[in-house]
Amino acid sequence: MGKRNQLVEVLGSGKRLKGLRVDAVYNPNTTDRKQPGYPMPMRSCYLTGVCTPSPWLFSPPFYVSYSFIWVTNLFLLVQREEKQLEASLDALLSQVADLKNSLGSFICKLENEYGRLTWPSVLDSFALLSGQLNTLNKVLKHEKTPLFRNQVIIPLVLSPDRDEDLMRQTEGRVPVFSHEVVPDHLRTKPDPEVEEQEKQLTTDAARIGADAAQKQIQSLNKMCSNLLEKISKEERESESGGLRPNKQTFNPTDTNALVAAVAFGKGLSNWRPSGSSGPGQPGQPGAGTILAGTSGLQQVQMAGAPSQQQPMLSGVQMAQAGQPGKMPSGIKTNIKSASMHPYQRPSCLVFILAVPLRCKVKKLLGQEEKKNARLQLW
Amino acid sequence: MRKILSPRVRGYRQDFLKIAQVYPVPYLTGGSESSCVVFNLDTMEAPPVTMMPVTGGTINMMEYLLQGSVLDHSLESLIHRLRGLCDNMEPETFLDHEMVFLLKGQQASPFVLRARRSMDRAGAPWHLRYLGQPEMGDKNRHALVRNCVDIATSENLTDFLMEMGFRMDHEFVAKGHLFRKGIMKIMVYKIFRILVPGNTDSTEALSLSYLVELSVVAPAGQDVVSDDMKNFAEQLKPLVHLEKIDPKRLM
Repeated sequence: MGKRNQLVEVLGSGKRLKGLRVDAVYNPNTTDRKQPGYPMPMRSCYLTGVCTPSPWLFSPPFYVSYSFIWVTNLFLLVQREEKQLEASLDALLSQVADLKNSLGSFICKLENEYGRLTWPSVLDSFALLSGQLNTLNKVLKHEKTPLFRNQVIIPLVLSPDRDEDLMRQTEGRVPVFSHEVVPDHLRTKPDPEVEEQEKQLTTDAARIGADAAQKQIQSLNKMCSNLLEKISKEERESESGGLRPNKQTFNPTDTNALVAAVAFGKGLSNWRPSGSSGPGQPGQPGAGTILAGTSGLQQVQMAGAPSQQQPMLSGVQMAQAGQPGKMPSGIKTNIKSASMHPYQRPSCLVFILAVPLRCKVKKLLGQEEKKNARLQLW
Repeated sequence: MRKILSPRVRGYRQDFLKIAQVYPVPYLTGGSESSCVVFNLDTMEAPPVTMMPVTGGTINMMEYLLQGSVLDHSLESLIHRLRGLCDNMEPETFLDHEMVFLLKGQQASPFVLRARRSMDRAGAPWHLRYLGQPEMGDKNRHALVRNCVDIATSENLTDFLMEMGFRMDHEFVAKGHLFRKGIMKIMVYKIFRILVPGNTDSTEALSLSYLVELSVVAPAGQDVVSDDMKNFAEQLKPLVHLEKIDPKRLM
């Protein structure tokens, strides 16, 4: 891997460059995050990249221009990665700050208001914390976040003097960047005892073998579900004594009613008190909201003459319930004329009905707003 | 006497959407930015030359929706929890008047458009919305998905729609709170039935519950959004059950 003058493929370009030392994994373009080399090889290529031209390659100007492009390419890549790193660090910092604040306020709440604390309030704080942890996880798992595992923090200068800058940045928690502070703050491995325990656990787990482990997992799941069933059964039996009236926070029938109202106006449309109704409308309160539903948004299949007249006539009968006597006769005559019309298409029928009905409406209503009348026609 | 325009307009759906122009305008009730369509109804003239009308190639936006409800007495706890979980901003209340217009054509199913105006924010534009049929089939998708087109318009929207041949089917007043988390919008509102048509002062509550809606407007194909929505809904769990409710089942 580290041989001098090794021919190596760079940037998948296919060009082979001699005289370049590469201290890295063979494929510098690996996108496999698990490979320890990612994304380091680029850096080392870059650092050793200003290479000595080889006399056996193409003419010097060509070679120099090519390496220039290659170097700038790498430079841009590196810049982009640094920007990504900064951005993800910022996001992480703000998330952690939020989490810290909510933890702090929760602890304050527990300490100061212990006497009058209610369970819903505690649940709220827990929900808040869980939400923030979720977002933190999401930020870490985001595809634009570089692998922090590949970055290393090395202390360059340790001094026992107070550092005001550091004080400010850590909000007064770390006054001195000295030999006692560094091992705690910059550690990347757990305590030796904890590490030992973890190693013990992993060897135990490996020792058991895959099949036995599966069996154990299944039995654990079964036991948990049995337990859950028992608990829920117990809950149900105890609640039947009527201990739960105030626990309901939502009503499923209400949910359905509200969703239906928003989706297609069930319970909302065409419900008008009988005094102020308009004429000729098939959805009058006598019929209730069911007919309103059918005339409104549901598909009315009008095929053939007899069935065409049915909805209209039934509408008229409904209209009669709340209307003065003059209207129905007018409508009936119109329907008769419509039924004699050779073209029995539904749209024509409706259109033909609409015009004479409108005239009737105007005559009857007189002073009422034209707009209202047109609205109520439908 | 005004002439009623014949509703016998073939292909009206496409034409109606084509005559509008596209440039980004924030969604009316404070949700995330979506590309909205603005058409000047007053002067019926096109915006300045720099904005060319788009007759095609607009992104198909889908609305992902989860709904639930909460009883009046539990509203406070729900609001408290939402304030903690959602983005930190001033609690936003809204009072909207929504009218649903139908255009009955030769096709069996009428074309539905929803016009919404803000009653407490003066100067806010009217909001016109088209919602398609919910996409069925994928059981793994946790939210209701339907095609959605949002347009901000001027105040003479109702006149324009009446001239086009639309008729108002029903209307209601929605009053409640609005929260936001990333691209997710959470609305908790009460629906009021309007007793006298056209008069928004005489209203009566439809039920003793508030409707809770979790919605996201995103380009088509991003199903990962529904997973995020489900995770958020889990956090509201014992207070309110947000689930995918098919409106056709309730007809």
